Amino acid sequence: MSDFSMLEYGLGTLQALLIIVLSPLIVGVMRKIKAKSQKRTGSGIFQPYYDIIKLLRKDEIVSDQSSWIFRYTPWINFVSTASAAFFIPVFLVYSPFGVVGDILLVVGLFALGRFFTMLAGLDVASSFGGLGSSREMMVSALLEPALFMTIFVIALFYGGTNISTIVSSANDMSILIVPGVLFALIAFFIIMMAETGKLPFDNPSTHLELTMIHESMILEYSGKNLALMEWSHAIKQMILFTLFVDIFFTWNFVEQISLVGISIGILFFIAKVSALASFTAFIETRVAKWRLFRVSDLIAMAISSSMIGVIFFFL
Amino acid sequence: MVENLFLICAIFAFFSLGATLGLLTRGHKYHSYFTYIPSSFASFLTITLSLIIIFSESTHLTFFNIQHLFDFEIFIDGVSAFFLLIIGLISFAVSIYSLSYSKKFDDKKNNSALGMLFNVFIISMVLVVISNNVFFFLIFWELMSLTSFFLVIYEHENKNNLKSGLTYLVMTHLGTGFIFASFILMYTQTGSFSFDSFRDITIIPQHVKDIAFVLAFVGFGTKAGMVPLHIWLPKAHPSAPSNVSALMSAVMLKIAIYGIVRCIFDFNAVDGSTDYVWLGMGMIIIGSISALVGILYALVENDIKRALAFSSIENVGIIFIGLGLSIVFAAFHLQALSVLAFIASMFHVLNHSIFKGLLFMTAGSIHYSTHTKNIEELGGLIKKMPWTAMMFLIGSIAIIGLPPLNGFISEWLTLQSLLAVFQIPSNILQVSLAFAILAFALTIGLAGATFVRLFGITFLSKGRSTKAVNAIEVPKFMLIGKAILASSCILLGILPFIGMNLIVSAFNLPYMSSSPFETISITNTTDSNFASLMMPGVLVILASVFVGVFVVVRIIGGKTKTIKYGTWDCGFGNLSEKTQYTATSLADPIRRIFGVFYKPHNDIDVDFYTKENSYFKKSIHVISTTKNVFDEKMYGKTISGSLFVLNKIRKIQSGKVNAYILYIMITLIALLLFVGFGAHE
Repeated sequence: MSDFSMLEYGLGTLQALLIIVLSPLIVGVMRKIKAKSQKRTGSGIFQPYYDIIKLLRKDEIVSDQSSWIFRYTPWINFVSTASAAFFIPVFLVYSPFGVVGDILLVVGLFALGRFFTMLAGLDVASSFGGLGSSREMMVSALLEPALFMTIFVIALFYGGTNISTIVSSANDMSILIVPGVLFALIAFFIIMMAETGKLPFDNPSTHLELTMIHESMILEYSGKNLALMEWSHAIKQMILFTLFVDIFFTWNFVEQISLVGISIGILFFIAKVSALASFTAFIETRVAKWRLFRVSDLIAMAISSSMIGVIFFFL
Repeated sequence: MVENLFLICAIFAFFSLGATLGLLTRGHKYHSYFTYIPSSFASFLTITLSLIIIFSESTHLTFFNIQHLFDFEIFIDGVSAFFLLIIGLISFAVSIYSLSYSKKFDDKKNNSALGMLFNVFIISMVLVVISNNVFFFLIFWELMSLTSFFLVIYEHENKNNLKSGLTYLVMTHLGTGFIFASFILMYTQTGSFSFDSFRDITIIPQHVKDIAFVLAFVGFGTKAGMVPLHIWLPKAHPSAPSNVSALMSAVMLKIAIYGIVRCIFDFNAVDGSTDYVWLGMGMIIIGSISALVGILYALVENDIKRALAFSSIENVGIIFIGLGLSIVFAAFHLQALSVLAFIASMFHVLNHSIFKGLLFMTAGSIHYSTHTKNIEELGGLIKKMPWTAMMFLIGSIAIIGLPPLNGFISEWLTLQSLLAVFQIPSNILQVSLAFAILAFALTIGLAGATFVRLFGITFLSKGRSTKAVNAIEVPKFMLIGKAILASSCILLGILPFIGMNLIVSAFNLPYMSSSPFETISITNTTDSNFASLMMPGVLVILASVFVGVFVVVRIIGGKTKTIKYGTWDCGFGNLSEKTQYTATSLADPIRRIFGVFYKPHNDIDVDFYTKENSYFKKSIHVISTTKNVFDEKMYGKTISGSLFVLNKIRKIQSGKVNAYILYIMITLIALLLFVGFGAHE
């Protein structure tokens, strides 16, 4: 393993902090775009920050039926999700922490957070939480094969599950010419929509129990805990967006560390992620929520798409 | 050498002491101490012995000879020692747990039989892995099967237990039959019953070798619970007292894996010839099917111990996938990958022993204080039994393979070796192994759902019956027993190299063993970093993120109050425990998605106030069932088919003397014809 200098570790931490700090901004941008396309004014793009700060300062109400699982889940969820950010390259082609863990670890950390969120949903003894957990159980169990198959395709084409290896070899190749990668892109996009609770899968903006998955699990949260839950959901979305642009749209990574290069890199990163976020938001305004038992069809599409990617590699 | 002999004698002495005292002190106030303290000593010595042997050389001792045919030989190499370590570690924890747990049976019935059989069961497993001769191997194997059979039917007042004991007895002997056949076949080639001769022989015709492999695989696979020969497992394991279930699931299944490793990797070093690809692929296919079928049944099971037993089938499947991959890689001269897959598989053997032992002991604790195994009657136990809940949570996180516990490491290694299939120079194998990844990933996903359901319904929300509401925490020895295994889960997860070094030196693998703080890294064909994992580093990141966010939340948020209030009830008030999600409804979406497999069926019985008006319902009664395809279709058909044939045969035995005279006539004529034709040649 090559040894990194303190500067590089500092930049690596900066990359993680960028993901963590900018994540509410992306949520705000997406809400704005959705509002605009529905002919509403919508709140400003910094509204999610105000929400989080406001919530952090509020007293919280905790159900008397709940246990420590309910109270510590936001912390566990936030810590595991935010830790995953350390393995994702943002403006460099690598992350100095990449040696510590690979994309499977990132998936594992997400799963840890989700495991506790599902338990917290069950902990409050209301049927809403159970409903959310039950649906999340189904969606997450079915998503797992799609996710691993996509990782398999990416590992095949880019020679590794280590994210730094993937990104640097994706950077070396010219993008999107290989058909296998194109299929992986489709699969990854579907997975991204499902993991972040986007529209054909889940509709987080309503509070109608028939449509929601993620929201009903965290329905009982308030104050600090709700802030942490919302923020970690935003971070998860940001990480998936970043991974998506890292793997499939590898423009302008910083090769030589310089102040100007890094600034341009960060700007490019923000531009890429915002473009992806706008596209996702646009898709969301164009589709309706699918019936829960049709969600499995969409996931099956992701699985078969990545399977075709595998076959393309071996052909 | 001498110390090892001394240790072996001490182990036997202590186990025998436990067995004898268990019988003698029947009804005594301190009965459980007399029985289980010696066994915990003996288990501790077993751990010591195995560690000595793993980190030094193998021990080979001949005890006594009977006409040179049946030498009772003790042979402990690294392979045996690794499995001895598993036996020792789990029995140590279970023995301590049993100090309190066995009190459950004190006033009920004769407790002495349980203590005696418990000790004999462990000692028979120790003897199986250290004997070096077909004859004694099979004797101890049989002793192991029979003692476990008696333990399964220990609570024989329950007719169901007797029935499952019978299924177990039949299936385990079916397996033993296959093992026996395999050994006899090897004997015809070597002319000796000693395992040494099996190891040394070089020239065996390929087809004989293949048949011996398949026989051994089916035989040991039955004991390990591979699908479709698994039906005894979810019946027998839950029927036994929980300390025994822990031993059976955590240790006895691994003895079967030991048999497979001995037969396939030791007796016939599987190496660079593509003749073995079918064997490896067969193991991967059976492993994938076992994993999926096991976890699908575990997901809808309401009996907590049965669910755990089904999940054992799943984990055995994962172990088989690793072993099969190791064979396939070796066949294509991919030495490094073969070693990786083997380490993954053995690591999962070790891990599964630890967390399944832990989970079964926790299930036993739940049964101990609530007297029910049905999770629909439980709930809210996290407030009544906080320590037990903590242990179950650790076990669950470990078994579904989440970081930073040990299950993650072995599943990560297995997945990495699956991802490396692109190095196999065969397109058909590559694509079919992609399907194995699919099955493996689905298994992991469903396992997560299974343990959310088991933990959530059992420990969280409100108690669903008075049994759950009145539960209390279990005695401290039961907690200590579980804590030993729970801390092993954490230790092996954070410092995986402890386990990996152990495996590398036990199996003498060509792999760099290094300090516990190293990075597990897998390099690509072009020598770049394919994947790497450094668990201590992950822990550092997690800790620093926690500190960071804690400080940020404190600075921005300041001090806030926490108010306790009832759960939001939509303004109706008085949420009852009936309004919560039940275990069945929680699994319902998955049950519907996999409807083809489960064949779910709802019997709805509606009672109206008046017949004419079908809008006012008095009561609705729903019975929701799923079908077990294997029990009904496969075994049901086989049993009814054979009964049909046997009933026809029974007509021969009519009880009439003249009919029997006719049979004698026919036999005589047949024999005369046979001799007559025989004389011609």
